[in-house]
Formats: sequence, C-alpha cells, structure tokens
Amino acid sequence: MSTLLFRAGLALLTASPLIGAEDPASVAFFEQKIRPVLVEQCYECHSAKAKKLKSGLFLDSKVGWQKGGESGKAIIVPGKPEESLLLRSIRHTEVDLEMPPKKPKLPDTVLADFAAWIKAGAIDPRDQATAEVKRGDKNWWSLQPLAKEFTHADIDGFIDAKLAEQKLTRSAPAKPQALIRRLSYDLTGLPPSQAEVDAFVAAHQADARKATEALVDRLLASPRYGEHWGRHWLDVVRFGESNGFERNFVIDDLYPFRDYVIRSLNDDKPFDQLMREHLAGDVIGQNQPAVEVGSAFLVAGPYDDVGNQDPVATQNIRAATLDDMITATSGTFLGLTINCARCHNHKFDPIATEDYYRLRAAFEGVVHGRRTVVTKEEQQAFDGAMAPLNAERAKIVAAQDDLTKTVEAKAKKLLATRKPSRPKADTLLTEEKITPVDARFVKLTMSATSSNPKSGVGGRISEFEIWSDEATPRNVALASYGSTAEGAKGATADDFPQAYSAALTIDGDEGAQWFVGNPAELVITLPRVERISRLAYRTAKGRLVRDNTQGATPCEYEMFVSRDGQEWQKVADSYDREAWSPAHAFERVRREVTTPEEAKQLAKLTGQLAVLDKRIAAVPKLRQMWVGTHQPKPAPTFVQKGGDPMKPLAQVLPASLGVLDQVTPKYELKADAPEGERRVALANWITKDNPITARVLANRLWHYHFGTGLVDTPSDFGFLGSKPTHPELLDFLAQRLIAHGWKIKALHREILLSQTYLQSADFNPTAARVDKDARLLWRFPPRRLGAEEIRDTLLATAGQLKLEPMGGPGFRLYRYLRNNVSTYIPLDTQGPETYRRAVYHQNARASVVDILNDFDLPDIAFASPKRANTTSPLQALTLFNNSFTLDMAKALATRLDGPDPIAQAYSFTLQRQPTATERAAAEKLIAQHGKPAFCRALLNSNALIFVE
Amino acid sequence: MSAPLELTRRHFLSQMTTGMTGLALSRLLMSDLGAALPPGTHFAPKAKQVLQIFCPGAASHIDLWDHKPLLDKYDGTPLPGPVEMTFQGKNGNLMKSPWAFKPAGKSGKMISSNLPHMAQHVDDIAFIHSMTSRSNTHGPGCIAMNTCFTREGYPSGGAWVSHALGSLNQNLPTYISVQDVRGEPPNGKANWGNGFLPARHQGVSMAAQQPLRNLSRPTEISQTEDEATREFLRTTNLEHAELHAGNDELRARIAAYELAAKMQLAAPEVTDLTREPDHVHALYGTRDSNPLKAAYAKNCLLTRRFLEKGVRYVSLYCASRASNVDGLLNWDAHRTLKADYDRHCPIFDQPTAALLADLKQRGMLDDVLIIWCTEFGRMPTHQVGTTGRDHNPDAYTTWMMGAGVKGGVSHGSTDDFGRRSVTDIATCYDFYATVLQLLGLNHEKLTYYHNGANRRLTDVHGQVIKQVLA
Repeated sequence: MSTLLFRAGLALLTASPLIGAEDPASVAFFEQKIRPVLVEQCYECHSAKAKKLKSGLFLDSKVGWQKGGESGKAIIVPGKPEESLLLRSIRHTEVDLEMPPKKPKLPDTVLADFAAWIKAGAIDPRDQATAEVKRGDKNWWSLQPLAKEFTHADIDGFIDAKLAEQKLTRSAPAKPQALIRRLSYDLTGLPPSQAEVDAFVAAHQADARKATEALVDRLLASPRYGEHWGRHWLDVVRFGESNGFERNFVIDDLYPFRDYVIRSLNDDKPFDQLMREHLAGDVIGQNQPAVEVGSAFLVAGPYDDVGNQDPVATQNIRAATLDDMITATSGTFLGLTINCARCHNHKFDPIATEDYYRLRAAFEGVVHGRRTVVTKEEQQAFDGAMAPLNAERAKIVAAQDDLTKTVEAKAKKLLATRKPSRPKADTLLTEEKITPVDARFVKLTMSATSSNPKSGVGGRISEFEIWSDEATPRNVALASYGSTAEGAKGATADDFPQAYSAALTIDGDEGAQWFVGNPAELVITLPRVERISRLAYRTAKGRLVRDNTQGATPCEYEMFVSRDGQEWQKVADSYDREAWSPAHAFERVRREVTTPEEAKQLAKLTGQLAVLDKRIAAVPKLRQMWVGTHQPKPAPTFVQKGGDPMKPLAQVLPASLGVLDQVTPKYELKADAPEGERRVALANWITKDNPITARVLANRLWHYHFGTGLVDTPSDFGFLGSKPTHPELLDFLAQRLIAHGWKIKALHREILLSQTYLQSADFNPTAARVDKDARLLWRFPPRRLGAEEIRDTLLATAGQLKLEPMGGPGFRLYRYLRNNVSTYIPLDTQGPETYRRAVYHQNARASVVDILNDFDLPDIAFASPKRANTTSPLQALTLFNNSFTLDMAKALATRLDGPDPIAQAYSFTLQRQPTATERAAAEKLIAQHGKPAFCRALLNSNALIFVE
Repeated sequence: MSAPLELTRRHFLSQMTTGMTGLALSRLLMSDLGAALPPGTHFAPKAKQVLQIFCPGAASHIDLWDHKPLLDKYDGTPLPGPVEMTFQGKNGNLMKSPWAFKPAGKSGKMISSNLPHMAQHVDDIAFIHSMTSRSNTHGPGCIAMNTCFTREGYPSGGAWVSHALGSLNQNLPTYISVQDVRGEPPNGKANWGNGFLPARHQGVSMAAQQPLRNLSRPTEISQTEDEATREFLRTTNLEHAELHAGNDELRARIAAYELAAKMQLAAPEVTDLTREPDHVHALYGTRDSNPLKAAYAKNCLLTRRFLEKGVRYVSLYCASRASNVDGLLNWDAHRTLKADYDRHCPIFDQPTAALLADLKQRGMLDDVLIIWCTEFGRMPTHQVGTTGRDHNPDAYTTWMMGAGVKGGVSHGSTDDFGRRSVTDIATCYDFYATVLQLLGLNHEKLTYYHNGANRRLTDVHGQVIKQVLA
C-alpha cells in the first residue's frame, strides 16, 4: 500500500479541509466525476454565466455551495451526505426540490459519486469566488516572481503561524537518541553506531544546541552524505544504466556521471553550476572531464536504439528520444510538464506547444552515445605516444603491401591458367558425388567462408547430408537415423543450450543453423558402416534463399571419410571449383607462388606488426564516457501537428519559453545557432534570474527532509500538481538558497537546525484529527527507510558494509545475458563483492533485483521525484526468505560474541537496550533455534526500518 | 491486542482489494453506501478475470487467422504500388501462406490448417482482424499491446485491472505473468510492469519452470524455527506498534507478514501439477516428447489452476524474445516462415486449445475473459532473398473469447492481401477499452495521476468494440 496515497485516503476520511485540497487524487476525483456533472447539469441555472440565476445559488465555486442559496445554509455538509441538501435533491428525496428539474433522475453511479465525494469531505479545488477555472494561466502561483519581503524571519515562524491557524502547536523537542538516528539516516542513509549515539546523548545533555550543530556539521561533511543525497538526485534526473526499450543493453560507462553527482554534492558545488553542467557541461567545460561528464544528464534516460529501415518509424523514434530530454529537463529544473505540450497546447498550464519545440530546438543536435572525454594534456600525451608507433606501423604495412603486390602479380598470372571445372560452392546446396565407399565417419573441414577467404570459422551450416549408395538413397546423417554430429560452435544463447550447435546440421530442419566455431570442422558419426556415394551441405535456411547468410557460406573445404575414426581418406575438396571471389582464388594459389624468401620476409613483417600492435595496445586508451555526441549543425525544428513528425508546421527557434516570459529575461537565438550555444543559452536562462528553478530545488530539499515537500508533487508545480502548504515559506527557502550562492549544505543546515525539524515524532490524536499526515508539521513525520537504506542498513548492522571503493563501475545483483537483446536474471545469492552501498548498484532498466525493487526502488523509465512507499506481502517474503537476509543474519550472529549477546544485538541494530519482553522472547528463541534465527527476526523488524 | 490487529488486517486487505487512491477510496465508500456493483467497477461487469495469451514476435495474421484467398492467386506477383521499405528493408513479391486454410465450426471460419486444435474453438471466438500498431519494432510493439504506450514505464493492462478491481483471493498475487520456458518476451518485464502505479500491481512472474521468487522457506531452516522466528517477529513488531500509535503502516506490515506466510503455504499447492489426473495431462500435452511443447502445456495447465484460485489477471506467453536467429525463439519469421511456424504452431496449438476447452468445460468462461495478443502482423510479401515475412504494423489480428464475448464473430478486415487494415480499423486503445468494458470499467474513468497528467490505460483514445460484445 502506498503510504502517501494511504495518507491521502485517511485525510479524505477525516475530511480535513486543509489537506484534501492539496491531494491530487481527490482533486482528480472531483475533476473526473463531480465537475463535469455540475457543468452539464447545474451551471445553466447556478453559475455566474447563468442567463437567470435560480435561488441565488452558485455551484461554480466552492464558496457558492458553502453559502448556499436563498436559505443561506450550506447545501453540502462535508463528510455527511445524508445531511446535504444537494444530494437529497439530486436523489429526488427532497420534495419539490428534485434536481435537475424536469429531467430524469441522474444515473445511480453519478449519485453514488456525489455521495462518495461528500462523504470524503467534498474536496473542491475551485477556490476563486465565482470564476470557473479549468486550467492555470500565467497568474498561476508557481509562475510568479519570488517574494522578497517575508512576515517571518526563520522557518519556525512560518510553520508556527500555520499551526496556530489550526490551533495546533509544535511537539516537544525530540529525544537525542531519536534525533541522531533521524539525522544520520536523513543525511547519510546509514544508522549511527552505538558509540556515536552515546557520545551525542552525552553532548546533548551538556549543550543541546551545540551538540546538534556539531552533529549536523559532521554528517554534512561525511562522504556518505554525497552518496545518499546523490541517490536522491539520480532519482530526479531518471538516471539508469541501460538503454531500455527492446534491447536494453547495459551501459558500462555511465557510472562516471553517478560519481560526479556524488562528488558534486560532497563538494557542495553550487547547484546552479551543477545544472548548467547538466545541460551544457561539454561546452562550458570543454576538455575538463570533471565538468563535461555533467552533460551525461541529457543521455541518461531510456532511448530506442533498434535500427529501422522504415523512414517514418525512424522519425518517430528520434522524436521520442528528444522527448525524453525535454521531459527530464522541464521536470527536473522547472517543475513543469512541458512534455504535455508535445501534441497540443498544454491542457492545464499556460504552456504553448511552441515552448515544447523551443526546448527541442535546444537539444536537436544531441545524440545518445559514448565519446572520448579527456583533458587537452591527456589528448596530447596520447597523440604523442601514438605518433611514432603509427609511423612505424605505416612503414611495416607499406613493406607488406609491396611484397603482397609482387606475390599477387605472380598469382594472377598463374590463376589465368587455371580453369575451374566446377561451379562455386552454393549457399543452397554444395554437393559432392564420390566414388562409393564404406564409411562410418565423415569429416568436413572448412578453410574459407564467403566473407572470409582465410578461415572457415564464422561459417554457418543448416544441414549436412550423407546419402547412401542404393537405388533409393537415404540420408543416413540424420539424427533420427541414429547419427551424431560434433563441432565447435561460434555462438551461444545462455538460456537455450541447443542453439547454434552442430547437432542442428543433422536435425532434418533447415531453419536453424550451426554457427561454425574454432576449429572449423564437422564430424558426423553414423550408427554403423554404410556404403555412401553423395555428401552435401546447406547454409541457407530453407530452399529459396540465396543472399541472407551474411557471408557465412563455407566455400573452401575438404571432405574425408573413415571406417574407424582413425584413418581418414580424402574424398572431395573445393579446389577445382570456381572460387567464391578473386580474393578466395588468390588465397588458393598464394602459397604455390610465394618463394621461400618471400614467405620468410612476409612472416618477419607479420611478426613485427604483431609486436608493434602489442605496444600500441599497451598505450592506455583514452577514457570514453556515455555523455552523448553532438551534431554541430542541427536540423531545423518545427512544431509538429499532433506531435507527428510527418506533419511539420511553423519553424521554431531555440529560445526562452513563453510560459515564463513575465518572470524571466527572454532570449532568442538564430535558426542556425551552433549546437552548443543553444544548450548554454538554455542553461543560463534556467539558472539565472529564474524564480522557478530555485523554488523547485528548495522544495526538493524539504521533500527529502520531511518526507513530503511543501509542494507534494516535486516535479509538477502546474495546475494538476499540488499547491504549496506554505507558499511563503517556499519562497523564503528559495531566497535563502540563492543567498547561499546555490550551495545546498547551508540550506540543509538551516532546515535541520530549525525547531520544526528537531521536534519529536510523537503522535498526538488531537492534532492528527486536523492534520493526519502532519503536513503542517505539528510533529516530525516518521518514515520507513528507502530501498537502498534498508539494504545498506542490513549490511552495516551485520558489519559487512564495504565503503570502498567509493565509486567506479557498479556491482550487479543480476546476471546479465546479452545477444541482440538483454536479459537480467536476479542473483540467487549475493556474494561479498555486492556488499557495497546500494547507490553503486548498476541499476539497469526493467531489471528486477531482490529487496531493492520490493522496497520501491523505481524502475527509472521515468524520473522519480517522489518514491512510492508500499507495503506488500512480497516484501515480507523477500526480506524473510532471501539468502541475503540469511547471510546478514549469520554475520550479525557472529558479531554477538560478548557476555550479553542480546544487548549487543539491540545495540547493533537499534542502538538501544532491549525491553524486558524483548529480552525474554529473544532468550527463548536463541535457546531453541540459535542466534541466527533471532538475528533474522531482528533484521525483519519494523523498528529497524522506521525512523522517527 | 488482537482486536485492533484484526481491524487493521481487514483494513489492509480492503486496501489490497481497492488500492487507496481517492478514487478507489470513494468506491470503498460507495460500497458502504449500498451500491450493488462489485468494488471498483463503474457498471455491472460481464467478466471478473482475464486470461491473456500472448504470442510475441509478431505472429502472422495471414498465416494463422486471417484467410486471404487472393494471396494464393497472386502468389509470386508484385504487391500493387511501389516496392515498400519496411523494418528490415526491401520487400519482394506476394507470397502465399505455406499452409492451406480450412473452414471450421458451425460458422465455417477459415483458419490455418496448421492449427487443427484451435479450429474447434472458432465458434466461441470473436476475431478482430483490423488491428493496427504504432510501432514496427518488437519491444515497443509488445509493450504497446500491453500498456498502450510504445515507451516503457506505463502500467500494463493487468496492473490497471489490479489497481481498479483488486484481488479475488488472499493467498496468491492478483496479477501473474507466466513466461515461456524459452525466456522473456521482447522488452521483458516492462510488459507486466506496474509503471507508475504502486508496486503491488505489477505482474508477478511464476511459471511451471520458475516458482515465485523467495516464496519458499529456506531449505536450511526448519518449519519450527521458521514459525518461532515469525512469532518473535510478531511479538516484537506488535510491541513496537503499540509504542507508535498513529502509524498504520506498522500494522499493515505486520499483516503483510501474515499474508506472506499464507502465500508460502498456498502457492506450492497451486503449482503442484502432480495433483492433476493423467487424462488432463494428456489433454494439454504436458508429457509431449517435444520439450518446448510440454513446457508450454504445463504453463497452460498452471494457468487454469491460477484462474481457478481466483487470480485476477494471468498473462500467458507462448514464445520469447528475439534471438540472434530470427524466428527461432518466437514468431518472428523473417526468413523461413514455413520452418519457423512448423516449429511454433505445434507448441501453441494443442495446449492452448486444451486450456480453452478445459475452462469451458468447467464453466469458467462465465467469469474469465480470454484475450489473444501479438504485437503486430507480417507482410503479405516475402522479404527480398528469403521465404519469410517482414514486420507489418498496419494489419494484424487479435481475438477475444469467454465472458461477455460474442462467439463466431470476425470483426474488421484487412485488404485483399492482408497488407493493411481497411474496415473498422482497431487499435490497442479500442482493444483495451473493450476489455475494461467487459470488466465493468469505463476506460475513460479509470485514471491515475502521474507527473502532471491523469493517466489512462487507453491514453486519450479508445472506443469500445461493441460488435464483439455478447
């Protein structure tokens, strides 16, 4: 169950006037079920637009039904359908007030909708007195400039004022034990140690303020901070390490972006700088890998890389690829759903479809892929090291070429005298009629394929046939006849062991092929000695195919037979056949015409080249990263009718977005503006004098500290998103962020040291009746740990967590299989090489891994600005039965080596002493089933994964 | 102590059933108000459960279900119009189906002679011959046929149904995805993903060859140890919950552990096919000498057992993703149509037909809606230089059967050669609008807020295909 939604549900039940209005689900309910009925059935007589208003009743605003009509009483009593006049009249239970008048009663489902709506609190988002607003315009709250004057000087002032409006107050300060656990998880995603708890409790007793400041500073300075908050940011920017879609190949060189995010957060890099690097790091930081890597943001999302010969499909795929960049950019930085304006003007926000294509123009030249990312010095050093090697190589190759030409000339002459007597080998059927011979073994050796004159490896054979010498010949090679085939295979399909094997040559089915491996040799063993007179093989799959074998037809071969498998007799070869190509013909006669001296010389050159190539290979390769490539002159960008690339309308320029033209400085580049310039202009526009960006970022910080943002749709500040619970505080925080030079550690500090944050999480039923979720923060809202925190906690508790290496290639909790698509198979056992922090897991899209996915690690097809928080029996099964939990339970058990193992266990896991009941139960369990059973239970306990 | 827990568990289960959005909550309230509809529905449903059979790889409409006599007549001649470039490139001339079509049933429906067992069911099936897809690529095509979007990240039909209607049972997942022994379909898990819906709505992978992950008690742990550990956990969690009043999630987690324990007991029973008599095994072909057919037959039988136990939505796959060899592991017959489908049809035919017959004979078609899907169709021409067919997103066939479906219907049609859908053109949106309709759901009203939009399974499209409704 989703806690967020669950909370929303309870808010509806308690009919909180405060919270429901902010909740997207209840607003959606109103928008979908209630508003349309009001508009269709009631507005004609009960709205500002009514030709003649009846009974003085307005139903086009919340105030309208609250005031009621001529009676002066509210016609809806939130929470009480039976007492609501509106419901009674539409149910036709109110005599002489049957509504709508002179029409049949509304359908039962509609009546039920109204009853449910009223019972759930009659959430009505129509705040304006009479105006019927169906969408936001440029007066929408989030599109306004930041407030500069504030009624309060600090965070607590804003919070207390709102609480006071509801006659609520903040809770008492949290106890130091709870506080250090809360802060440790909040800032580092890890539990504190018992020693840290003890030290903090002591210091807190001496001077609570000083101790707390010191603790916050210590945690903010910890490298673990960047790992934890970096993970948050990776959610927001939809970072995933595979390309998704059909192939879903893992991407092994995107991790530098993850490390860059962690490093940037630990270094407290100003966020405006970070965002500019995300959009244009390669331009503003050219030849500075530490900056360039930031622009991997643009290509960190899923994209379709399956090639397509269909030109329309190709255009659609490109449009979808750019759409991901547009969606990520507008959601991450601006909290706007500009992507909704792809096919038409935004349905709810004042975003013209042109704005969508302006963003597209900025990214028009960005292409997914990897590229060398190095400093100038590194490039020069590399070029310097390579230059002499390349020169030397060119010399050797030239000498080889000379010699080869000489040999080739002789070979040509000789070739001219050769008249092949038979046609070339055939993809469909290559056949040899031989003098009848008794044999039990038949061997085919291949020395060339149609694409490679020098080796038979890489060839393919669908069938090999051995025909008996009799009136009605039989193919005695068939497996069904009892024969077997052996030969190395050149490809594998992990989950389909028969694939590509030599056995496919005698299965009587021309569909599947043997992929010839090394050595290129096939041996067929008959069940008994047979008199045979014809041998044949096929490469084609089926009998009409000539050109689909991709050069895989074996065309130079020898065939042997044997009675005993020891002594072989050659019965056929390809040498009197026409050669597949001149290159094949040359290869055949090459050896004959090469003099010993030439051979020696060629061998020497080949040897030199091999040595040199080893030296070249030893030069460290330049670093490649998945940061995308760029077309210097992007194609022009057009608005597309209905989002269809085949229907271009007016051209648009790379420019600022119209939706914000009242609050941001405008820019407009020329149609042919260079690629990099477009992204720099956009990055500057987003990060300089843009009130939205700071507001969105400040809200994200609040969201992760308190579990819910002031706006609880962190990447959607539009009409369908939520409105802030504390609009003024949000602007205050945004201004503080800017004042701190976009350094977020200072803002963390302000939030964490507020009394609001430091209060206890104790429940207060009276306050909960007004504000169940504590959105007003009458207490600190307790929360369940996130997926990574849970796995990291199990590791830390068991003493197994490895903090090094801090970065580098990620570990995998799946087995990765790849042919032309990928398969991710979750590991059944997770070895010590996986005992790193979960942020270093190589999160591939559409992969499933135990524990992390169960506890709501998002699938990263989209950004996850807010994680789900679900409770399911599958979580229980996984955490209880998975081998990882058992391994951690055993490891924890071995740590319990003191005189009081039970106390030790509680100290490692919960940093507190067991209660009397807990101790008694633990003693019993340990006595019966040992420490690991007890540890397994503790690692599953609610107390371990909830913080307060 | 037990009373509040009971209350919580009931509460929890009801959430399992309905989901906890404002919408779902309102339905909960609605049922309190005495509305006669099953929870979650918008109107009286015809079907309660869904069996989806999916043949990935783009199973050829014109070689299985959609008879094109003119294709025989004009075999080897050019398709009128310019030579087309499709997914893999150039197309050659028209190529007739390697198999004759034969009339079947009272309706005389023409069906490929390569599907002799399926032929017995044509009078119960409503074919939709006029499907079209937005993608010509397997991965996006498959997820479009499951989620109505060509990019991943959207909830599958099963997840939406789970979200809307919840569970019908207490010991098994609501939505189970039964994968083929050969592997996952193109785009893998995105086909049964929950997308942005809560994670509990995702399809859970279970198959005869692959039990539910983490379901069993670890072998090294005895039953008594397991129970004692659970008991300790329960005690300690209850004490913790008592100290933390006002946090319902804690009690929900306690209930989740209890439900998990029940699943641990129930699931192995359901998946134990040895409980089935020999004649049932024979009907499905679970002991066939072709191991691929036997494996699929076991999954068919398992599927029936899931449906019997009240699993809401089962997706059953016949074949898997692409491999390096086109058409080997799935229905993607680019090069050797005859050899490929002579391999796939026998795997599919008897076990599927047995499953349908078994469901019918047990009266389960009163509740179970059966839908057959593939991602798109194939070209009536052969690919240049091959005896196979390229992708064709402009025409393909799907079908429905069972609860609420009118049998013996062929809705929509393609042109003379099956190149394009031409009458009553249908889409995945229409298809799922119809599926939801049969389940008592208005596809325009089943919504979920996500990243700035109230999302629907049918996006902003979809019309119920009334002609297939009984």
